[in-house]
Amino acid sequence: MKRILNKDEIKHLATLSGLQITDAELETYQKQLTETLDYMQNLNELKTENTPPTSNVSNLENVFFQDGGENKRGLTQSEALSNAKQKKDGQFQVKRIL
Amino acid sequence: MSIFGKSIVELTRLVQEKKIGKRELFEYFKKRIAKYNPNLNVFITLPEYKEHVNYGSLLGIPLAIKDNFCTKNIRTTASSKVLDDFIPPYESTVTQKLLNEGAGILGKTNMDAWAHGNSTETSDYGPTRNPWNINRSPGGSSGGSAAAVSAYLSPAAIGSETAGSIRQPASWCGIVGIKPTYGRVSRYGVVAMGSSLDSPGPLTLTVEDSAYILKILAGKDPYDATSSPVPVQDYLSIMKQKKKFIIGFSDEYFEGVNEEIKTKILAALDIFRRLGHTTKKIKLISPKYAISVYTIIQRAEVSSNLARYDGIRFGNDRRSFGSEAKRRLMFGAYTLSYGYYDAYYKKAQKVRTLIIEDFKRVFSEVDAIVAPTCPITALKLGEFKKYPFFGEIMDVLNEPGAVAGLPAINIPVGLDSSSLPIGLQIMGRHFEEGSLLNLAHQFEKETEFFGIIKKGLEKYKDE
Repeated sequence: MKRILNKDEIKHLATLSGLQITDAELETYQKQLTETLDYMQNLNELKTENTPPTSNVSNLENVFFQDGGENKRGLTQSEALSNAKQKKDGQFQVKRIL
Repeated sequence: MSIFGKSIVELTRLVQEKKIGKRELFEYFKKRIAKYNPNLNVFITLPEYKEHVNYGSLLGIPLAIKDNFCTKNIRTTASSKVLDDFIPPYESTVTQKLLNEGAGILGKTNMDAWAHGNSTETSDYGPTRNPWNINRSPGGSSGGSAAAVSAYLSPAAIGSETAGSIRQPASWCGIVGIKPTYGRVSRYGVVAMGSSLDSPGPLTLTVEDSAYILKILAGKDPYDATSSPVPVQDYLSIMKQKKKFIIGFSDEYFEGVNEEIKTKILAALDIFRRLGHTTKKIKLISPKYAISVYTIIQRAEVSSNLARYDGIRFGNDRRSFGSEAKRRLMFGAYTLSYGYYDAYYKKAQKVRTLIIEDFKRVFSEVDAIVAPTCPITALKLGEFKKYPFFGEIMDVLNEPGAVAGLPAINIPVGLDSSSLPIGLQIMGRHFEEGSLLNLAHQFEKETEFFGIIKKGLEKYKDE
């Protein structure tokens, strides 16, 4: 499982994460991410073939919100827009898609 | 009436007995902040005094709040330029509960940006300095909150922990800090880091203060689906009960730990024995595996949680992310990506199960586990750059408990030869914060923490 990340992979990860990185950053991240991944290999020292994965330590299941119950924390339209840098007619303004 | 160094419990009594005014108390801390904050850089935002409308157990008490808790109409940045001008239109459950009891928001404290770190040095607003030695880090990510309490710029503070972020700064700043069981305190309104790990909690000067505040914060919140319906213990009364515990300690948690720290922890175990508790050597999976489990799971969850910062609905766009955030986002994306998901993320989740089972086994033999909180004392500012994944390495002793969702408390148990605080942690079973508070309180009554907290305040007198 030992992996050394190459520059294309780092570029791909940056795209997946919606980030822009410079060429200098690319080299630094390549080194750092590879070093970190290297350490993660120690997990292979432990046997887990018959171990189920845990995603939720509290073992809560099917927690529902009461339908029709009072939503005391809803935001008004103006509250929801209060931090938007670009808004128009009570709506968020985004880049043209179509 | 001297306010300096008084605990929350003492101050609430003085306010209720009208021996100090609410505004007077707020201005007292504002004055101290004006004097000491420029040097320590504890606070990012300092709101104006607001008249307290509610009457409760925290009437008139101003509190420092870590800047990842959304405070309505008070800027909240999570110490990142992405949220530099973000003014939340809503209140987090934690701060709402405090306000309901009559508390006031004194200020928002500095932290590692997005809580990514252990030294408050990844903040986009400059590092916070350790009140014990300003060339050193206060720890993190709740470094601002810990420093605020340690220098008495606030009588108590609220922080949050994903793995170590309450315990470790409490340890490096020589104060009390408790990380509750995951799900004990609502995460609604907390800037999310690791959704299966984040746990808000108090940092205080005394154990009683932590119990007092935790009682207010704990409980099920219908707006946080991961918050627990398990009934909240009566922390203050459990804390005072005459109980004897079986305390476990494990060699695995002393590996790589500074000798001076080891000495103080072993001395503390002697004190627990003297108080009538039984100590027992136990075996636990080496914490080094928890580093990997935690790094993978946390960074995967971070990459998902930080996807919402698009600069469209609020905040600035993703070009404002700092380098640590970028590092974690990309790493998280990698471990979740096609072809690597099984090898990394799923494997980490399986080892997480092993760690949970390991603790379950041990907690059938002991009631609590004592260990050092951190392998070292406060680092010099700037040193964190030597480590490739500093935050996660530094929290090695906190990560196993964190991934299992266990509660833990930090108490100061000594100073090292550089006069820096040494912290001891007590870990407990899920939802048994009462036992931790009880043990910590017994230790506090017996030793008064060796005068450490008082010593820490010496450099920060009123005039």
